[in-house]
Amino acid sequence: MTTLATLLRHPQVQGLSFLAALVLGWEVAADVGVLRPYQFPAPSRVVEAVWEIATSGFPEGVKLTTHGLVTLGRILQGFLLAITLAIPLGLLIGWFPVLDRMTLPVITFARSVATLSLLPLAIVWFGTGELSKVLLIAYGCFWVMLGNVVAGVKYVDPVLIRAARTMDASGLVLFRRVVLPAALPRILTGARVSLGVGFMVIVGAEMIGTIRGLGALIMEARTFYRADISLAGIAALGLLGFGFAIGLGALERKLLPWHRGLEDVRR
Amino acid sequence: MSGLTGAPATGDAARPKIEVVGLAKRYADVDAAQPAVLERIDLTVAENEFVSLVGRSGCGKTTLLNIIAGLIAPSAGEVRVDGKAVTGPGGGKGMVFQQQALFPWLTALQNVEFGARTRALSPAARRREAEQLIDLVGLAGYAERYPAALSGGMQQRVAIARALALDPQILLMDEPFGALDEITRIDMQHELLRVWSSRRKTVVFVTHSISEALMLSDRVAVMRAHPGVIAAEFRIDLPRPRQRTHAEIVALHDRIWRHLN
Repeated sequence: MTTLATLLRHPQVQGLSFLAALVLGWEVAADVGVLRPYQFPAPSRVVEAVWEIATSGFPEGVKLTTHGLVTLGRILQGFLLAITLAIPLGLLIGWFPVLDRMTLPVITFARSVATLSLLPLAIVWFGTGELSKVLLIAYGCFWVMLGNVVAGVKYVDPVLIRAARTMDASGLVLFRRVVLPAALPRILTGARVSLGVGFMVIVGAEMIGTIRGLGALIMEARTFYRADISLAGIAALGLLGFGFAIGLGALERKLLPWHRGLEDVRR
Repeated sequence: MSGLTGAPATGDAARPKIEVVGLAKRYADVDAAQPAVLERIDLTVAENEFVSLVGRSGCGKTTLLNIIAGLIAPSAGEVRVDGKAVTGPGGGKGMVFQQQALFPWLTALQNVEFGARTRALSPAARRREAEQLIDLVGLAGYAERYPAALSGGMQQRVAIARALALDPQILLMDEPFGALDEITRIDMQHELLRVWSSRRKTVVFVTHSISEALMLSDRVAVMRAHPGVIAAEFRIDLPRPRQRTHAEIVALHDRIWRHLN
């Protein structure tokens, strides 16, 4: 009994126990018929659907690993394209106030445009192939990343800059040794948020011109009234995103060991 | 020394290190009717002298220090170091700030090494110098800690070591102990005097604490606001460490207090 009590005090156990309760409640509700199976198939049915996609594939022959890898490839291409462009540009814009003033309206506007509203245009410009999908993801990731890099550079604590100047640091030295490390936490936050945007955009981007990818799977299942397949695809996409969030969190702790200094003191 | 022309007669026999001559600071974008932040400031600091600027908040003492540092340009007048006009920061003027100004991504030791960056030392010698300075400020054993894992007093010790790592001739201190609790603050005053006695520098020290200025300084310049001016100067010819209760300290405290009001 005491072991159960200690176990329940563990934060991860608490987090998982709530999730488990939700799934259990859903299962029971579906089994007794409160939820209609074609709308809310029971979790056990979703697990069966996962098995079906993993073994025979959905549509027939396109398996879960294919869907997952295709989606992952598209997100990573778009994301990497976006951050490769956004980081150098953001550093420049953040460092030179005149560039910041010039680009602020454009960035604010472009960020407010819902990425998927560009889908019709993307088809006209780039067709229904891979390029459209990757560029849509890149668009969504780019502006979020750019905004964060600019802010990271712009809002470096001025006292750090002043201190560096009293130590004869200026120009590139000041930028590389003070501004860049000071902006790094915000840049990494930008990368995390930006990747999240990629995961949001992918489903819409895969709505057209493909039967491969988790987004395509989710949409395609709808036409066959297979809510269980859609839910299986959503779960797979969610797990993929979750894995990336954990990976980026670990990278952040590795790159920013000094950010955890406070925790060490509290311990 | 042609640089002496126009400097006030302070009766200093020693060579002037810093000369502030006819200095004024106004912010152009502020209402012209507003009094200047600083007006007609004349101040001479002798080599290795410890001078404090004391005044209420908003009297311009930090602005004056920033102008001496070369971080802010004056509206009129000039600051000379060794007879040469100051045009920018750096160049042998170390500074310690009130707020946390250490680089949080560098360890204590790396922060101090950053200060020694531009000195003509081999990397090994630079590291040795940084380690010695960490020891000097009493932080042996904490060299590898990041600033966030150090207390406020320890962080200011690192900041002092970092400023000393420049091997500056001048040390400018902007209320360095202002954010510390009183007990830590008194400890830090003793520490600063100990460090100063082993690495002699010309010090300009800004504080809003009269007793802090009296414990540390050779001379105290009292500032008044609207416009910011130096209202009076007091010389303290007492050996250190000083007793807060010493009759002369008590009397000076009283006189300075009257000048502030």
